[in-house]
Amino acid sequence: MGTALSLRDISKSFDGRPALADVSLDIEWGKVHALLGENGAGKSTLMNIAAGLYAQDEGRVFFGDTELTDNDPRHAKSLGIGMVHQHFKLVFPFTVAENVLLANPKGGYGRGLAETKRQIVEQSGKLGFALDPDAPVDSLSVAEQQRAEIIKVLLGGARLIILDEPTAVLTDEEAQALLSTMRVLAGQGNAVILVTHKLHEVPAYTDVVTVMRGGRKIETIASKEATPADLTKMMVGSALAEIKHRPATEHGVVLEVQDATLGRADGAGALNGLSMQVRGGEIYGVAGVGGNGQTELAAALIGLKSLESGTILMEGDNVTAADTRTLRRRGVAFVPAERMAYGLAEDMSVASNYAIAGVDRGEFGGPLWTRQGRIAATTQTAISQFEIAGAAPTTRAGLLSGGNAQKLVLARELREDARLLVVHSPTRGLDVRACAAVHRILMEARDRGAAIVLISEDLDEIFKISDRIGVINRGRIVGEFDAPADRHEVGALMVGHA
Amino acid sequence: MRQETAGSVPSVRHGVGRITLEVRQRLPAWKHGLYLATSLGVGLLISVLVLWASGVGPKGIYEEFVLYTFFNAKGLSNVLVECTPLILVGLSAALAFRVQFWNIGLEGQLILGGMGAAFVALNDYGPPEIRLWLMLAGALAGGALWTLVPLVLKLKLNVNEIISTLLLNYVAFQLLQDRIYGAWQAADRFPHSAQFDAGIERLSRIGFGDVGTGIYVALAAAVVVWWLIDRSRFGMFMTFVGSNARMSKAVGLPVTAVVAGTVLLSGALSGLAGFVVVAGQEYRLTAGFAGGYLFSGIVIAFLARNNPVAAVVVAFLLGGLYVGGQSIQVFYNLPAGVIDLLQAIVVMCVTASELFVRYRIIWRRQ
Amino acid sequence: MTLEFLVNWLASMPVAAAPLLLAALGLIISERAGVLNLSAEGLMLAGALAAAAFYQELGSNPWLGMLGAFLAGAALSVLFAVLVVVMRANQVVSGLAIVFFAIGLTSLLGTLGGWTDTALAGFSKLHVPVLSDIPVVGPVLFRQDPWVYLTVVLLVAVTWVLFRTNLGLKLRSVGHNPHAVDSMGIDVLGIRFAAVVVGGGIVGLAGGYLVLASAKIWVDEMTNGRGWIAIALVIFAGWHPWRALLGALIFGGIEALIPRVLASGAVLPQYYVLMTPYIATLVVLVWAAVNKRDLGAPRALGMPFVREDRR
Repeated sequence: MGTALSLRDISKSFDGRPALADVSLDIEWGKVHALLGENGAGKSTLMNIAAGLYAQDEGRVFFGDTELTDNDPRHAKSLGIGMVHQHFKLVFPFTVAENVLLANPKGGYGRGLAETKRQIVEQSGKLGFALDPDAPVDSLSVAEQQRAEIIKVLLGGARLIILDEPTAVLTDEEAQALLSTMRVLAGQGNAVILVTHKLHEVPAYTDVVTVMRGGRKIETIASKEATPADLTKMMVGSALAEIKHRPATEHGVVLEVQDATLGRADGAGALNGLSMQVRGGEIYGVAGVGGNGQTELAAALIGLKSLESGTILMEGDNVTAADTRTLRRRGVAFVPAERMAYGLAEDMSVASNYAIAGVDRGEFGGPLWTRQGRIAATTQTAISQFEIAGAAPTTRAGLLSGGNAQKLVLARELREDARLLVVHSPTRGLDVRACAAVHRILMEARDRGAAIVLISEDLDEIFKISDRIGVINRGRIVGEFDAPADRHEVGALMVGHA
Repeated sequence: MRQETAGSVPSVRHGVGRITLEVRQRLPAWKHGLYLATSLGVGLLISVLVLWASGVGPKGIYEEFVLYTFFNAKGLSNVLVECTPLILVGLSAALAFRVQFWNIGLEGQLILGGMGAAFVALNDYGPPEIRLWLMLAGALAGGALWTLVPLVLKLKLNVNEIISTLLLNYVAFQLLQDRIYGAWQAADRFPHSAQFDAGIERLSRIGFGDVGTGIYVALAAAVVVWWLIDRSRFGMFMTFVGSNARMSKAVGLPVTAVVAGTVLLSGALSGLAGFVVVAGQEYRLTAGFAGGYLFSGIVIAFLARNNPVAAVVVAFLLGGLYVGGQSIQVFYNLPAGVIDLLQAIVVMCVTASELFVRYRIIWRRQ
Repeated sequence: MTLEFLVNWLASMPVAAAPLLLAALGLIISERAGVLNLSAEGLMLAGALAAAAFYQELGSNPWLGMLGAFLAGAALSVLFAVLVVVMRANQVVSGLAIVFFAIGLTSLLGTLGGWTDTALAGFSKLHVPVLSDIPVVGPVLFRQDPWVYLTVVLLVAVTWVLFRTNLGLKLRSVGHNPHAVDSMGIDVLGIRFAAVVVGGGIVGLAGGYLVLASAKIWVDEMTNGRGWIAIALVIFAGWHPWRALLGALIFGGIEALIPRVLASGAVLPQYYVLMTPYIATLVVLVWAAVNKRDLGAPRALGMPFVREDRR
């Protein structure tokens, strides 16, 4: 069949943080090639390099016989490389045909549009689905929008089709239809790359699978030879983390979630009958692959989103309908995943960011006068206590490095009387030292008797500090383990098809 | 005046090379100040050239805009008169912009403020001793009321406040015309209301030229706004909401209440500006008493970076421009619009300079 | 209401509606490309003064006057586009600055150039044999100045370009989702710049029309708020040229009606009537928001385009 795409020793880093290290990969014509890995494994970065969106720091890219030097999206497209992004590049009020025409203009508008419509109908027929070329993209389901993207890429002349996490936003049936479409495309002689973190998609629908972890390629094997156990092992690694098991505490139940639902039923990014219980003095690790309801769980627990059904009890009281303000007054604290979006006001000073919650509680004077001197002094204490490097009370928060910004958020959120701490991906993007510091801070809070919900996509982190682990998959907790838990059992539930 | 951007930005390709914009992570305060000062300087230089080309030479400019304006009792008193409402509209705009609410309705709110005061004065409501206070209350209420519709539309229906506040300016203007050509028209049948009663319904003079007690009102408002923003708990909330509303919600701040309170206060301050104009300068409602304050208010807030103390300074300087502009109208026969022109030139230069503040511009030859 | 009154009113409607429609068409082009354009009042003033100046200096040729109007609107828009497209300056502040820049500049240049307060002959009404003499229909449809008809031609042309050409498709997509368009290798900044400048020229024509076809004189600030009405009109029309025609006829009709009713001695709450364009626009905005209807606003309106990637 021959090699379509060949990536040689690709390395890439962002702001000095390596994202890809020496990755080599060959993609063949007529095959569906799965690129499997957890979030952050480097799959999307690698594919963006192939499609010309990013430039690699080192390494070479070949398409067929030609080397792609100084690649850009237009050049990649002209050669026949097409990528369907996770976030669709569609102009939403326009019709399918208008979107396709915009990407692939031809001749006059009227004739071009008519021709495009004909091609859409023809192409979608070949792929075995129907797509109305006159439908506004707005009115289509996510799966139909994705089909429009695929048609757009194909009519642009693509022969190598890269699908970036295409099934992440689809329901089961939609995903199956898409995967069948992929097989059809490969059958026509095209090369298809399926970027995914869903294990179960590999054996049935792909020919070859490459597993990536931590910016490196682990292995490439034929899909039919890959057992789920092997793939899980390759994806999550086998590094044994230092496990600090903590004996059961006498603290009572702080948080109880019963049958919580939120968002599109059976879809991605939704809660789907989630139940869990967390006691004081324990870290409850929520393990899972990104997009299985973690963000929604955090938002629901902190009152930023309200449940469609189900109950949240805090120390026995029903707080399902409570807003963030009320929950915070009850001792709920929140360390968000996107710390610059939800954790800090980056234009404001370290002192203001540290003190704002306390100001609200009246710790820094009454409503009429805020005691700036006391804020500065307290902030200075927090800076040394939490070892926030490079910060003075007057420093702009946006200037802190990731680790120090996170420490600042923790310093604000970890009050003595915090009862429930909702912590989402607290060490994302942090270096080893900062990670250790954040973990130490969380464990100290636990030892003071706080209940901690640690939501993280980093299994090492979950294993390192959790006392109990709940696996979230498709919006519900599908299994719970006391530490020390078996890494592969947890991994299997995470990537399994519940 | 913040626009959110992230990432680095390859933007324009030319035959000669490639210009790349990169979002600045840190810009030292002195450099920020330097950019601002340079752009102001360029704006003023262009303004001087425009005046020169129109027949006002450097000596004339110095005399009209500096000597007889700021270093002369008559001129200085006129500057204080002019800057009284300017301080208030500047504060009004600065407050609303602080919570990212684009209040383009300053002029409508100012009109309603003037009408609120006139409503009290013309109907002789309340005992004469407190009439002025009632007029002031009427002005605050009128201005705040005029932000209510855009505010509710924004918070409940997410209707763009730029458009709704802008449209209401013209509604307010027609309301005013309806009054002064109708029910409130003076007996002389000119398009203005009857005069407010001397000694009861007028702000008294403080004994320095035509400067009235309105200047105390404006300065008191500035102190209150400074206190509110810089010292009060509400002010800290306001700054957080304006800086990052999502984060403010996540830390449990009452975001909706903060926005609503700030915007109503912004409207009330514009209303107060209407009060100092009608009760302190015109002594009646006139057809055009609100003219020009929209742009000036925005200019002040913009140049003062929404800082209340700086707003007072900018308003004072702008007052000088108004006074100087009036005298070149008389002595050089230039039209009143020259003041608008000069303000616009300076603002354009400063908005343009923000590019250099926000981005690092890298130019690579190919 | 007599027939004569009605015919008289209807016949004066196009003259009131044409400048509003011209300005709205120009704004639609700019805003469809995603640039919020509050500068209309200023562009109209620039166009108006340039029309008066070109007319008076270049042998009283009204066509050259209109050329001047277009050039002035476009030139001022180059300044606006440099600010908001190239320098990514705040579109609200820049738009307002352009308005006041133009108020000052036109008033200054008008005085210095001596073009103020001089009555001009300008365009005269066409007289088409036979057709113009048809009762009722004649005066309303066939006794107008040439720009009434040219405005309709322009309306058709703008609609055609926006909705029936590849260029229009690109322009509209730049207004909705510049990032998607950029990823296809289309020059977002170039399209926005061109849209602002061409649109600005057409808004300038609206000012020229006021001087050469409607008022037949230049005086300071003679646009008298029509630029702001045009901004309201664009929203009222949901950024659609044909609905802008409808809106222009309604708003222009109101403008033309008031003096005629007052002259007939009838009592009219004229200032409340004059509010209607603004109130109607507000009502349309609220109606759309309440009913969750897409008014047609470009989705990226008002947002400067900055490419986000991590090369």
